[in-house]
Amino acid sequence: MAQTQLAILLTSIALVVIGLYSAIFIDNIIKKIIGISFIEEGANLFIVAIGYKAGGVVPILMPGMDTSWFAANAAYPLPFGLVLTSIVIGASTLAVMLALVMVLYRRYGTLSTKVMLADTSKQEEYNE
Amino acid sequence: MNELIPLMVIVPLISALIISAFSKFNKVTKIFALIVAVCLPLIPLLSNYGLHYFGGYQPILDNVTNVVYHPAITYSFTFLQQVFIAMIGILTFLVVFVYLTKYRKVSGPYLFLLFLGTAAVTAMLLTDDIFHMFVFFEILALAQVGIVAASSIDYSYEMALKYMILGSIGSPIMLLGIGFLLAITGSVNVTDIAAAVHNGLVDIKSPVFLASLGLIFFGWLYASGFPPFHTIKSGIYSKAEPHGAALLQSFTVVSMISIVLIMIRIYSSLPIFEVFIVFFSILAMILGVSLALTQTDFRRMIGFLAVGELGFIGLGIGLGTQFAITAGLFQALNEIVITALLFIGFGAIVEATNEVDTRKLGGLLAYHPKVSLMLLLGGLAMAGVPPFNGFQSKLMLVQASLSCGFPELSILAIMVSIATFVVFVKTFYVMFLRPKPNDLEVEGKEVPRSMVFAMGILLIIILALGLFPDMVVNGISNFVGGIL
Repeated sequence: MAQTQLAILLTSIALVVIGLYSAIFIDNIIKKIIGISFIEEGANLFIVAIGYKAGGVVPILMPGMDTSWFAANAAYPLPFGLVLTSIVIGASTLAVMLALVMVLYRRYGTLSTKVMLADTSKQEEYNE
Repeated sequence: MNELIPLMVIVPLISALIISAFSKFNKVTKIFALIVAVCLPLIPLLSNYGLHYFGGYQPILDNVTNVVYHPAITYSFTFLQQVFIAMIGILTFLVVFVYLTKYRKVSGPYLFLLFLGTAAVTAMLLTDDIFHMFVFFEILALAQVGIVAASSIDYSYEMALKYMILGSIGSPIMLLGIGFLLAITGSVNVTDIAAAVHNGLVDIKSPVFLASLGLIFFGWLYASGFPPFHTIKSGIYSKAEPHGAALLQSFTVVSMISIVLIMIRIYSSLPIFEVFIVFFSILAMILGVSLALTQTDFRRMIGFLAVGELGFIGLGIGLGTQFAITAGLFQALNEIVITALLFIGFGAIVEATNEVDTRKLGGLLAYHPKVSLMLLLGGLAMAGVPPFNGFQSKLMLVQASLSCGFPELSILAIMVSIATFVVFVKTFYVMFLRPKPNDLEVEGKEVPRSMVFAMGILLIIILALGLFPDMVVNGISNFVGGIL
């Protein structure tokens, strides 16, 4: 495994761990959502690292390139395609989450999840 | 006619966009939505079984390694997909019909979400590509959140946000698992991955392979509403409109079986995989029915019962034999219909009384005898009473547990069925049979006819599946034999 690839993998693990900590333990909903984005980006970075090839070239076959040389030197393109899709989906979920937070912020006047989501929690505790 | 296979996803997807864009034309939107909803169950029934390769890219044989690769996204359409997609289509039609007749002015975005969710679960069932499945799993989560947030029920936004937060943690974790599989096999096509695993090209005891199982399994728990996600899952059902909840639970069941069928193909050689599924299924069965016993809000009660029923599906799949998996999948089909009937039926009671607390209800049998009778029959079907479909699938599950050498599991399944029966009979007595409380106003409030019609159709399906189970069981069994 190339050093660059290892560094990318370690960074992705760090992003996931920091994101999980933030999403689970931090009360502020915006910081929670930033943590969730960290997890998503960590997963994306991990997949990018899979496609990395030390000394490789961008996997786009240009005119005049020798196909056997290209096959031997190009990075693996599938992970990049997957990550592109994953980024779009991540942006969509982020937008929906922030839209919901905006509505709830107007209702409660705070970004604290303990306050914002307390009503349902109390209701659930009562029901259970 | 394999061109019809992608249409099962494309039709609801494009229709959702058209409805959303032109929703200001109320009458046209209503007619268009109804036509699309009618078409949804017809497309899978008219389509031939087979494969569809997107872009026309057929599998490629590598002459050096003698291995076949799938270069493009592949949709696989067999009897199992046909029966589940047709059932989801029927349910979408009924839900859209109930919605369109309930409101004079329809909401384009709400119809968009209903069709988007239908397209997403259909794609999850059809696809042979694990990343494609993940993409539609995310789209489904967005649709589910939207359906909950669009309801006018108190705290629906809060519940939608909670579900979204948990989903946004569960989904990337599942994506990491898919990344691990990609790292060790170089593919996201399930057939290619399964071939690599079963041909010994992947070390199934390697930490990376085991980690991929753990990560994808976590995502599956979230998708299925198994513990620790059972509370949030029943919560979103209770915060959605009743007809929306009927569709949401079917989305949950279909996404659950879509993911687990992929996992079976990849991880069936790992004994721990089946142990995990059985463990969480037992937990879901016990927690689901126990929590349902304590509920006073009947929407949450059905939500928890639905979680318990999911445990039965998982039990069959976890036992791992052809007969047991068939029983689990048959149970999944039955649960979709039965729970939809109960959600729509209890939704009709909400329409007639504006009340969801069972303690404040009573004496409704005299006022709404048709709804009462159909709800009673639906509850008996869920509890596994003959001659309904729930009885057939639960009997198969008990037989499967015994034939696998786990009599204790069959005893547990019977006990949970009895507990489900007790929950339902208790609720039925409180709502329909005991004297009406003085402060409950039911005079002059009618149940929408569209809801009674939807319940009638679902009851006919329940009876048909209960009396003639072979019309689906044989086909499902052949499918399971193929993947094993």
